Amino acid sequence: MKNRLKVLRAERDWSQQDLADRLGVSRQSVNAIETGKYDPSLPLAFKIAEIFAMAIEEIFERD
Amino acid sequence: MTEEQLSDPKGRSPFFYGGIMLAAYGVIIALASTDAINSATALILMIAPLGLVIPMMKAAARRVDAGGPACMGKGAAQKRYMKRVALFTSLYLIALAIMTFADKSYDPIEAVRVILATLPGLAIIGVFWAIGRLIVEEQDEFMRMLIVRQSLVATGFALSAASVWGFLETADIVIHLDAYWWAVAWFFGLFLGAIWNRIEYGTWGAV
Repeated sequence: MKNRLKVLRAERDWSQQDLADRLGVSRQSVNAIETGKYDPSLPLAFKIAEIFAMAIEEIFERD
Repeated sequence: MTEEQLSDPKGRSPFFYGGIMLAAYGVIIALASTDAINSATALILMIAPLGLVIPMMKAAARRVDAGGPACMGKGAAQKRYMKRVALFTSLYLIALAIMTFADKSYDPIEAVRVILATLPGLAIIGVFWAIGRLIVEEQDEFMRMLIVRQSLVATGFALSAASVWGFLETADIVIHLDAYWWAVAWFFGLFLGAIWNRIEYGTWGAV
């Protein structure tokens, strides 16, 4: 699954750690999601969408 | 303390101590399997490297407090896990020392021997329990997945090694190994699982 996390994060000038703190997960988790190595669960995807005030499909898209 | 350690508040990596411990066990196993030392001496010698668990746990805790590098997650669940493992490892050391001392000093009755021989195994069960609790308590789903992957690799490795070794032993090709070595193989499997995690996900995991 592709995602726009890196771009969205850069727009807000957030580091991976900043986003991880907001999500309550490790920096490694953010890195794994961002690089497409790990697809988040639905609850975590909703949390990400909530933090960026966007819909899930605006952040994640199928390959 | 070296200048390098002074400039780096995280100090040595926990993997440094883990590596020394594994190397020490390798040497002891080599000595025992070549009959350079007898089994009782090997058992006593095996207690010493376990002392490295304490600096290893402290090094891991320092890394967690420092924010955690790419090789390690951070969080309350992992801190609780490290404390539990340190506790059960200490209990294991004590139980093993008591068992060895009692065996060498006097000939205990069977009931006492059963109790003494059961204690180290119970301490090891405690470590398995700590890993199980970590899986339950870890709130970070990615880190939890890494722990589960490590555990699956460890289980596959230990059971495969036990199966192959068992048949080789039946065919009188290899020496007899006491069953507790498969728990050691499982812990080594965790290390292999961490390497696999690192290759596939760029991070070692939390165990």
